[in-house]
Amino acid sequence: MRHALSGLNAWLVQRLSAVYSLLFIVYLSLHFLLEPPGSYEQWQQWMRQPLVSTASLIFFGALSLHMWVGLRDVVLDYVHSPGLRVCLLASVAIGLAAMAAWTARILLG
Amino acid sequence: MRLSIFRFDPDRDRKPYMQDYELVPEPSERMLLDVLVRLKTVDDSLTFRRSCREGVCGSDAMNINGRNGLACITPVSGLKEPVELRPLPSFPVIRDLVVDMSQFFKQYHSIRPYLINDEPEPDKERVQSPEERAQLDGLYECILCACCTSQCPSSWWNPEKFVGPAGLLQAYRFIVDSRDRAGAQRLDDLNDPFRLFRCRTIMNCTEVCPRGLSPSRAIEKIRLMMVKASL
Amino acid sequence: MTRTKRHRIVFFDLRRIGMPVGAVTSILHRITGILLAAGVPWAVYLLDLSLGSSQSYLRAVALLDHWAVRGAAILMAWALAHHAFAGVRHLLADIDVGSRLQAARRSAWLVNLGAVAVTILVARVLL
Repeated sequence: MRHALSGLNAWLVQRLSAVYSLLFIVYLSLHFLLEPPGSYEQWQQWMRQPLVSTASLIFFGALSLHMWVGLRDVVLDYVHSPGLRVCLLASVAIGLAAMAAWTARILLG
Repeated sequence: MRLSIFRFDPDRDRKPYMQDYELVPEPSERMLLDVLVRLKTVDDSLTFRRSCREGVCGSDAMNINGRNGLACITPVSGLKEPVELRPLPSFPVIRDLVVDMSQFFKQYHSIRPYLINDEPEPDKERVQSPEERAQLDGLYECILCACCTSQCPSSWWNPEKFVGPAGLLQAYRFIVDSRDRAGAQRLDDLNDPFRLFRCRTIMNCTEVCPRGLSPSRAIEKIRLMMVKASL
Repeated sequence: MTRTKRHRIVFFDLRRIGMPVGAVTSILHRITGILLAAGVPWAVYLLDLSLGSSQSYLRAVALLDHWAVRGAAILMAWALAHHAFAGVRHLLADIDVGSRLQAARRSAWLVNLGAVAVTILVARVLL
């Protein structure tokens, strides 16, 4: 597992999560354009459909992975001091994990 | 014709500076290198590398009006004046337009730029079909002038860890060579966060290659080969 | 070694190094990515408000009516459009569509201008 989330695997994760996120965002945008929710009840009902909430959950998972690879690339490119690099990567990872947990709580709660 | 040239002599100067020159090119002096060679007869302290003067040796790579190229095959006509000449960006300057290419060649050597084949040698030679040979077109022509690598942002940020476009083009050249047997190791060697995957397909390499080669496509193809190999 | 270190001179002035259109698309891809990353927590916050209760839903709607939030939304629309278009360009290049120089230059222009066009459309809807 030398290449767990580096090199090719990171690149594949970036590509696959990009494709899923893109499709989801297009779907979401179309929904808002064609039948924008008029009230809390309507909006909540739509979001609580199993298909929509599952798709949203996967979206936030894919988004977190995509953000991890992208922000990791930014850090690897511009930050060269090993200490600062590790600190930044760790805070990005913690931030993303917290965000994923938050979205899961919103969508499943 | 007006030129503005980057000057730096480590024995005399603390800092580099731009020096202006003016001359009228002879009709025979059609390429930028011709003009530089004449300037050197006026100011023999002006230092630059050149050898074949026809775009084959790769010695006179420099930054011409912001864009890397070979002076010997850059026509003087059509250049915006004053023509600004600087050494290859991000490479340590030895003097004037001459840069230290050590790091660049170190990366080139790191991809093992030679055929690896432990099979018993045939009597005459390892034969290639015309189709197999054609795989190397657009790859073997690289003259290692470093125009691409010096214009590549990924190489700017991580010159020690990222192989760079020139080295990766050559890596692909050996991966697709039908006589080479180390394809899998070569792919594996490039599979880490830095050696190949710092490439963001900015394509500055392909933009400036004086030979019209496309390192960015070679890198894309290596990535696809890695995907196929991992399935 | 110390000698070369002491005299280490490098030409590296980004204002004087040419930026082909593909490089502009690429650096904007990165900048928009960072912008979007900064915007995502706020979007999640809005999502949280909108699904919490009917009162917090109204707070989210009121927030979206604020001029500053609308301005930020337009910026995010540009960032998302550029990031998505540039991303599709890369995905296509991965499978060897448009990865030759001429096509790549054209698609880079298309991405840069297309994102601005989308932003103008969004701005007209929101303002």
